[in-house]
Amino acid sequence: MTAGTLQITPRRTKLHRLFAYRFALLAGPGALFIMIALLLPLLSIVVFSFWRTESYELYADWNLDNYRVMLTEPAYRVFFLRSFFMALAVTLACLVISWPVAYFIAKHGGRYRLLLVLLLAAPFFTGVILRIAALQGLFGPIGLINMTLTEIGLPPIQVLMYTPLAAGIGLVYLYVPFMITAIYLSVINFNFELLEVAKINGAKPWRAFIEITWPLNWIGTAIGLVVVFIPCLASAVTQRFLGGTQSSSFGMSLAQQFGETGTWALGSAMGVALFVSSIVAIVLIGRSINLKRSGFTGVINP
Amino acid sequence: MSISHTRLRIASSARRVGTTRRALLKGAAIAGAGLVFRPMAPFISNAEAATPTLRLLMWQPYAINETIAEFESKFGAKFAPTFFDGNSEAFNKMKVGGTKDFDIVQGDGFWPRLYFRQGLTQAVDYGKIASMANVFPDFLPPNFPLLADPSGEHKVAAPNCWGGYGITVNSSQVAAGDIGSISLLLNEKYKGKMSTNSRFEENIALIGILAATNLGTISGPRPDGNPFNPYNLTDAELEETKKLLIQQKKLLLTRYQDYDALDRLMRGGAVWAAPEFAETYRHLTVLKQDGKLDFDIQHVLKPKEGGLGWVDTWMISSGADSERVELAHHWMDSFLKKDNYVRVVRSTGYGGTVDLRDLLSPNEIELYFQNRSSEASQLHMFDQPSSPEKWERIWSDVEAS
Repeated sequence: MTAGTLQITPRRTKLHRLFAYRFALLAGPGALFIMIALLLPLLSIVVFSFWRTESYELYADWNLDNYRVMLTEPAYRVFFLRSFFMALAVTLACLVISWPVAYFIAKHGGRYRLLLVLLLAAPFFTGVILRIAALQGLFGPIGLINMTLTEIGLPPIQVLMYTPLAAGIGLVYLYVPFMITAIYLSVINFNFELLEVAKINGAKPWRAFIEITWPLNWIGTAIGLVVVFIPCLASAVTQRFLGGTQSSSFGMSLAQQFGETGTWALGSAMGVALFVSSIVAIVLIGRSINLKRSGFTGVINP
Repeated sequence: MSISHTRLRIASSARRVGTTRRALLKGAAIAGAGLVFRPMAPFISNAEAATPTLRLLMWQPYAINETIAEFESKFGAKFAPTFFDGNSEAFNKMKVGGTKDFDIVQGDGFWPRLYFRQGLTQAVDYGKIASMANVFPDFLPPNFPLLADPSGEHKVAAPNCWGGYGITVNSSQVAAGDIGSISLLLNEKYKGKMSTNSRFEENIALIGILAATNLGTISGPRPDGNPFNPYNLTDAELEETKKLLIQQKKLLLTRYQDYDALDRLMRGGAVWAAPEFAETYRHLTVLKQDGKLDFDIQHVLKPKEGGLGWVDTWMISSGADSERVELAHHWMDSFLKKDNYVRVVRSTGYGGTVDLRDLLSPNEIELYFQNRSSEASQLHMFDQPSSPEKWERIWSDVEAS
């Protein structure tokens, strides 16, 4: 018995080691790519944020001035708050729009479910600028909506023309497919029989949704929240094209630091702030996930 | 051109994949020939390697197919452009090793002098550019000093096209008395019917001229002892500029992102006045001449308080070797030749620094500012903000207001 164990253990270790080598071989290039493409630029941005720029030149004078400027100058706070509330509003709007759509596709989509989900990706067949330009053609003062209204003798809808609302609608249009997909992938694995049980036991539909459907699909929803909120927080192009003069965002200001003004050190500090804010958002949303409540145990074959 | 060439090469490689007896014999013959001619190897190179390549870091509108084709065929050279959007982007590229990657770089305003001062470019020899004789004297040093280093000893760039940052006006809607001044852009009467671009330098500099006029400091003595320069505003002028820009912001419909957008807004009657590089003005003027526009259009190149201007230039990278320096001079010479330059102004729609009045129609002479070259010297040329950091702060305050 002991001898048998002694014979088996080294073989398992050898197999395990072989598996580990293969895993390292397979995962190595990906890990290296992530390290080069993500970590190194991030590291350089952190370093630059403690340097100084003067007349388009970057000087390695270590200081905290960029963070001081960013935190004390009201303009950057305004940019950040604008972006934060815009991201929050867009995320909530996406959530409200996405749940019924994802639920409908998952429950009633039948054999067309995959097709319907793929159709959500249709807008991605074109570039983001083209999609925003299309919205401009719809909302603008000489866009389809306002021109039609003018033609029939009605006043144009001012609130759609270069306003924060127009930018918000644009962002919802751009990011709602991500939210729908995330929720759909969760709902598709949901056991709808649980709702039947709740109904038999006298639960009204809304209560069944609040107490069963929503918590058991929270992971999908949380992923949706993250994939919409984070890019919206950093977004610049949509506000630039649709938002008018009152929509300057943190992302727009950040892009300007690296572009026209050449104030890279301040831009780097803003980049670090954005990264930290995104991490905080992910952690907060992540902490709200109760894996056991969601039906996930973390063990694939328990 | 280079893409199709690459495709041909890929296709021919693909055809060689299978190993046949013929291929083996051919390979053996090549190997034998290689051994025989091996001593001569240093003197043999393939045709493609011998083709000189001119590598340009440039604005896309100047990459005109016919011009490039003529240049390539005449000099047996390959034209390899890389495009950029703004001066600072090109400058950054050159700073981070771009002098080895590019033979020619473009820039306007103060940039040629900055490139030269930083050792990123080398002097241009006007003696090798016969077509410089076609250029209006208004765009040659010493009349136009920005093309030479401050001592005047070296020419740092050759001129290309020029223009201003004037105000294009729908003169059927805007009262004649309101046209001609920068203050039009702050006129409450036209609230919601105006637009500016989103570039911080031009917005601050143009309104800075108005601010200095309002403060009465534009014609007075300057702290640096130099004449007034809207890119070198005092703190008081910058503060007044910020105040005016915040005031102006409430009157704007939007900040246009590109000329197509401004074109559409002005054509549709949504915008009546906008400072711009005269591209929309030219397009709308042509539409008007063709009877496709039902309102009048005007362009104020130099408002009464003063205006901004630019001259695009060609520079030679300090990393270019003697062969490429020659080629760069040939390119500039070819570009500035009258028959080519007609094509340039018609294609880009910019003002011409080459005198083409004998080749253009009266309408085109007016459209491409051919009779207004002397005005270039009256405009404040695009310059480097005295403190980009300070200007960035001003612009952020305006955008956040």
